[in-house]
Amino acid sequence: CRQGSAVVSRLAPPQQVRLDADKETQTLSVTWEDGHASTFDVEILRTELMEMVLNETVGVTEDQSTGKHQWNWTSPVPLECTSLSVKVRSRDGQDVSEWSSQQILPGLDLPDNTDSQMYPEGKTVPVGSNMTFCCIVEEGQQFGSLWYKDTLVKENMLSRRTYATTMTNQGPSNPSGTNVVCSNEKKMIIAGAVVFVGYPPLPSDLVCETHDLISVDCQWSKGRDTYLFGMTRQTYYTLNGRNCPKARNSNMRCGLEQWDGNWTLVARNLLGEFRLTDAAELGHRVRPVAPVNLTTPEVYSWNASVGWLWKDKVKSLNGCLSGHQTYTGYGLNTVVLKDLQPDEKYSVKVRCGSQKNFWKWGEWSLPLSFQTKMDRPVAPDIWLWMDSDNLGRVLWKPLTKSESHGQISGYEVILWSPEENSQQTLTLPRSVYSLPINVTDRGSKVTVTARNPAGVSLPANIVIPRYLPDAEDTAISKVAFNGSGFPLSWVAHANASCGYVVDWYNTSCTQDCNVEWIKVAADNTNTMVQSGNFLAGVRYKFSLYACSSESTVLLERWHGYMQELVPSRTVPRLSPNQEGADVQLTWDQIPLEHQRGFILGYTVYLTNASHLTLLANITDPQLTNHTVRNLVLGSYKFTVKAYTAAGEDGGATVSISLEPYTYWLIMEILVALGTMTCLLIVITIAFTGFSFSIFTILWKTMPGTGLICVCFQGTLDVKPSPHSMVHIVEDSVWDSSKEALVTVPEEDEEGTGDEAADTDEPASLRYYNQVVEEGSSSQRRPHASDSSASSTGSMDSGHTDVTYTGIQTSACYRPQMQSASCPEEPQTGPEEHLQPPVGSFGGYQPQCSWKQDSPEADGDGLDQTCLGSPTSVTSSQFLLPYDTSEEGKEYPSSASTWFHNLLTGKP
Amino acid sequence: MADQEHIEIDTLLDMPAPGRSRTGRAASLARLLHQDCTYLLELYRERESLLSDHTPAGDRIVSLSLSSPDLSSDEQVQLLHSALRKCLGLLECLILREEEEMGELEGEYETVRKGVRDRLGHLLHSTKVLLETEEDVTPDHQCNEEVDGVVGTFGAKMWTYRVLLELIHWANSASQTLHVLHSEREGREEI
Repeated sequence: CRQGSAVVSRLAPPQQVRLDADKETQTLSVTWEDGHASTFDVEILRTELMEMVLNETVGVTEDQSTGKHQWNWTSPVPLECTSLSVKVRSRDGQDVSEWSSQQILPGLDLPDNTDSQMYPEGKTVPVGSNMTFCCIVEEGQQFGSLWYKDTLVKENMLSRRTYATTMTNQGPSNPSGTNVVCSNEKKMIIAGAVVFVGYPPLPSDLVCETHDLISVDCQWSKGRDTYLFGMTRQTYYTLNGRNCPKARNSNMRCGLEQWDGNWTLVARNLLGEFRLTDAAELGHRVRPVAPVNLTTPEVYSWNASVGWLWKDKVKSLNGCLSGHQTYTGYGLNTVVLKDLQPDEKYSVKVRCGSQKNFWKWGEWSLPLSFQTKMDRPVAPDIWLWMDSDNLGRVLWKPLTKSESHGQISGYEVILWSPEENSQQTLTLPRSVYSLPINVTDRGSKVTVTARNPAGVSLPANIVIPRYLPDAEDTAISKVAFNGSGFPLSWVAHANASCGYVVDWYNTSCTQDCNVEWIKVAADNTNTMVQSGNFLAGVRYKFSLYACSSESTVLLERWHGYMQELVPSRTVPRLSPNQEGADVQLTWDQIPLEHQRGFILGYTVYLTNASHLTLLANITDPQLTNHTVRNLVLGSYKFTVKAYTAAGEDGGATVSISLEPYTYWLIMEILVALGTMTCLLIVITIAFTGFSFSIFTILWKTMPGTGLICVCFQGTLDVKPSPHSMVHIVEDSVWDSSKEALVTVPEEDEEGTGDEAADTDEPASLRYYNQVVEEGSSSQRRPHASDSSASSTGSMDSGHTDVTYTGIQTSACYRPQMQSASCPEEPQTGPEEHLQPPVGSFGGYQPQCSWKQDSPEADGDGLDQTCLGSPTSVTSSQFLLPYDTSEEGKEYPSSASTWFHNLLTGKP
Repeated sequence: MADQEHIEIDTLLDMPAPGRSRTGRAASLARLLHQDCTYLLELYRERESLLSDHTPAGDRIVSLSLSSPDLSSDEQVQLLHSALRKCLGLLECLILREEEEMGELEGEYETVRKGVRDRLGHLLHSTKVLLETEEDVTPDHQCNEEVDGVVGTFGAKMWTYRVLLELIHWANSASQTLHVLHSEREGREEI
């Protein structure tokens, strides 16, 4: 410590030490007098707590004029915060003088200054700066806390009443500044200060121009926000030394009365200033003022002239822009506006620019409104739509604003009759756009004109086209909507001198239809039909006509949908009709207005509860019936749906319960028996003549059951006729089930064996209970295999040429109750055998698991069970065929034994 | 929203009404003014980052007392009218100082501040009508920093804070006093 030096210095201590404080800049100026030294030790203490603030050796030269030394020190702490004690001594190397007398810079925390205070107050500093704030607590109060904005900050005690905090890297303030608040222990604000943290100005892009060739108007960008507001801290601008009081907020512009050629803009705030310069010649920076006093001296239907005036010297400028058209000319002050529309309101405004050394367009003038005069309307777009041979309607489209050229007052329609060389003229009001006509009365050509106050339009003529009802249609083809319209194309027609017409209307419409049309130029052979009136699900018919001065000829027709939808209703008149084991479904076509799309076909479903099983997909939309075949007895529901490209309709459903044909079957059997009787008589006669022996012919009717059994057994040595046989199968379960027998077509059998070649043989009759078919061959026509097997068996035996299978007993019926053994019927196609819905059949179980070669069906068991009282037969599987199989061989034996026993009266 | 409310109240005030209705309307107006002043102080605290438990030191600016038991209702309204005039003067001065300090801003605080000034003016007109005398409705305050004791920027803020508290106080007093007056007159007419 230099204070500890005990050596007597030859240096004299500084004299007359004096302190001067600049509290705004927190600068302390220390001056003293000393004749010789140039190096001094300076020591600064906080007086009250004797804390060292600074102890520094500084080099200070003597001011020759005053003979004093002066040293400045900027305190980080505001000088008001607390008293500072300063002393100085001279130094020469290691030799130091005695300390000067201590000088005190009194702070504002002295007891006689009792109020609370905070420093520095109201300072403006740059963003990022560091600052120390101090709070002097009022005498008698307790310090509480210090807050910077809303943040509690840590304080540092400088004296008994003074507490300080240092904030570093301060961010920008809000417009009212950043508060630093000091509160007492009761959280009452006792002092505070505001600091404004911001940036110096930084403007850019100074550009000066003239509007009147005299004065100058400069503009610039404000640049970075200074975050400093209010009269004291805001940025002030000067242009070439003149204040710019109007340059505020975002309006950064300033004007001078005379063009100087060089401009300097100075932007200044409390934190600094910034300069911008610009320089230019007058002729290169001309942005004319807006023209004034716009007038329209001449206004016509299709053009108008506009004039204006200039202020002062600007009239010598070249080039102006009016509306969106540019006109050029020296001293331009009038232009003619062309391509205007008649009877139209216009608003025109003018701005100008210098043609030479163009800089910028000037300001727009005030707008001027005017209205062009009316002109006669254009000829209406007309068409003639025929409802029938004689009746039609003349149609014309309302004229648009740009076509009417004024308020339309009405229309005039002239009906020409060249043969009679006469005409009829009709005047119609402006709200009428069609006129019904009778062609036979009025001739073959129609002329329509429109009228407005300016005159009559050119005539629109059309030759009445011949009516072509749908029946005479040329081929009508489909056209698809492509998203924006219906694209139509056609082959060029020789007689289309005035082009083509395409008209269209809702096909379902029958009266007063809304007809639309477009006209196509003669050199076009395609068009896109577009209309805002197209609706989804509506079929439109498009007709193409070739138009000439002599005729209007229909060339082609299309129809199409903008968007196809599913039909809006189901097929009407859906009805089932039982035909034996088949059901024929018939229905009508959906009316056109309900189709809502092209009907592509129909789907037929078997309905079981909510489940639909597809039976058929009819892809011919003209076909409106379908036969579901081979149904077993029971109740069925069928659903028929029409479908379009958009999908199926909801579906129409019908129910049917299949009933047995009792009386019909009886009749069939009687006829069959009669036929057989005749046949037997013929055979008997034939056999007698050829010395054949016939053992037995038995006819017996089983009482009580209605069973008719026919057993015929004989031996023929001649070639057997496979067709000469009758199969009669009966069902013991059904008392009246004989009606269900069906006739099997002859050709079904022909395909089953070698016998098919014998087409000259007598036809055979075979009767089968079709229910029996369930358990047998499922893919072939009913009973073909059984009959073949029987016939084959008969032929192979060599003993029989005609086999009448089986008088069966009730024991022959083997109810197959094991449903588990019944394979589930595959329903993969509409022609497969169908099962009625579960629970709807009344307990009848088809013998679907029966097999001809099954153990249950062969051997003695069957033989034995077939003996006894013959009662009923339920299945053709229980017929007794002569088969080459082991099992089959026993059947004729058993049958003959049983037959023989029956004839001989044996049990 | 606030503007619409002002228009409605202005319309109400312009309509001729019996004394009882005028009292009720003035009471309603004072209640709305109290709400506005409270909201204005909330916005001010938010802007200045002042915690709600930090209160400025100092005495009341408008030192009138309505609590004396000897005052009649009319005298209380008279006193209230005077206090409100001073409040309006203080508010005008506040606006002037803030605009000098920060420029003319257009935030929510400034909008509500303007609303308070307008509504305070309406209330003064209302109390004048109630008193049925030719009372002055102009602001009663000389905007003088020395008189106000405003030293420095922060001092001005604390003064503003105190003015806003004063406005709340007198708006509340007006609401209560006018409500009592309204009840009294209503009871008197019913009798």
